[in-house]
Amino acid sequence: MTILLTHLRVVLLFYRSVAPFMLLISVLILWCVLRPALLEGWARGGILPQLVLIKLMTGPVVWYLAERMRPNQYWFYYNLGVSRRFLWGGVAVLDGLLFSGLMLALNACYA
Amino acid sequence: MSKRPEFGTGPHVLEADGIRLAFDSRPVLADVYLRVQSGQIVGLLGRNGSGKSVLLQTVFGARAVPDASVRVNGCYVAPAFRVPGLVNYLPQASLLPPYLSIRQAARLLRVDPEKATASFPDLRQQLHCRPGELSGGSARLLQVLLLLHADTAFSLFDEPFSGIMPVHVETLADEMRQTKLRKGLLLTDHRYAEVLPLCDVVYLLRQGRLLKLEGDFETALRDYGYLAS
Repeated sequence: MTILLTHLRVVLLFYRSVAPFMLLISVLILWCVLRPALLEGWARGGILPQLVLIKLMTGPVVWYLAERMRPNQYWFYYNLGVSRRFLWGGVAVLDGLLFSGLMLALNACYA
Repeated sequence: MSKRPEFGTGPHVLEADGIRLAFDSRPVLADVYLRVQSGQIVGLLGRNGSGKSVLLQTVFGARAVPDASVRVNGCYVAPAFRVPGLVNYLPQASLLPPYLSIRQAARLLRVDPEKATASFPDLRQQLHCRPGELSGGSARLLQVLLLLHADTAFSLFDEPFSGIMPVHVETLADEMRQTKLRKGLLLTDHRYAEVLPLCDVVYLLRQGRLLKLEGDFETALRDYGYLAS
């Protein structure tokens, strides 16, 4: 249980470093695509899965930029016994949940 | 020590061999064998670009090298950093995330920051600071202390004395001598005058090969051209 909590804290800590990019992308997708779609009424054809797909496609871009711009960011996490794969997997899950939550909330607001 | 029952509670032996690495077809490491055991400080010396950092990172497990074998008490570990309580590593770059205070980092590493800085009382006022708010030397020293006092069987340090003022270097060397009673240390640093008196074993990385120095380390280093004669 302690290890699980530590790993969760570590993923949250790592997410903090990439959150500005990932949240900006989420807000841009939701504000520039979903909101007009809902307002203008062309979101009924199942746009939500497509938005999730777009969001998923931006993940590798953020990963690539983080690798290029901050190659030394992993050392602390390695010293906590956490691998790069685990960190990015955790970030993907966390960011995916956050994006889905925001998307459903916006959908409910304009429904 | 209870976190690593698979390796027993006695002295630990860390061995690495079969490490071969080339950059742009230039061989950097060729069939290296390295051994560190609890109670030892092992020095790794070599010219700039000789592959010291790469070797430490390979042993730590952060760099995947085909055919590399890293073992503890004969048990294969890959990557070593995933084994709880086995090894930690100080890179040349800053270790800590910029938005974490030293005290918060210590908590995650399960280190008592007061105990870790017992020999450096002037650092205690800086425990609430983030790495970017500290001088380079203080940040480096605190990072070394956190890893030195962490409960691991081995610590790998890449240039631990870099940027640290002389009076603190002496105290840090004493801390390392104390710490080796419970763990094995592998360190590389160009400050050979500080490193050599600390070391029980010295390796010289030269032309991709790891040479274990015998006898008087300084004389051997002069013979191999690492020190000016």
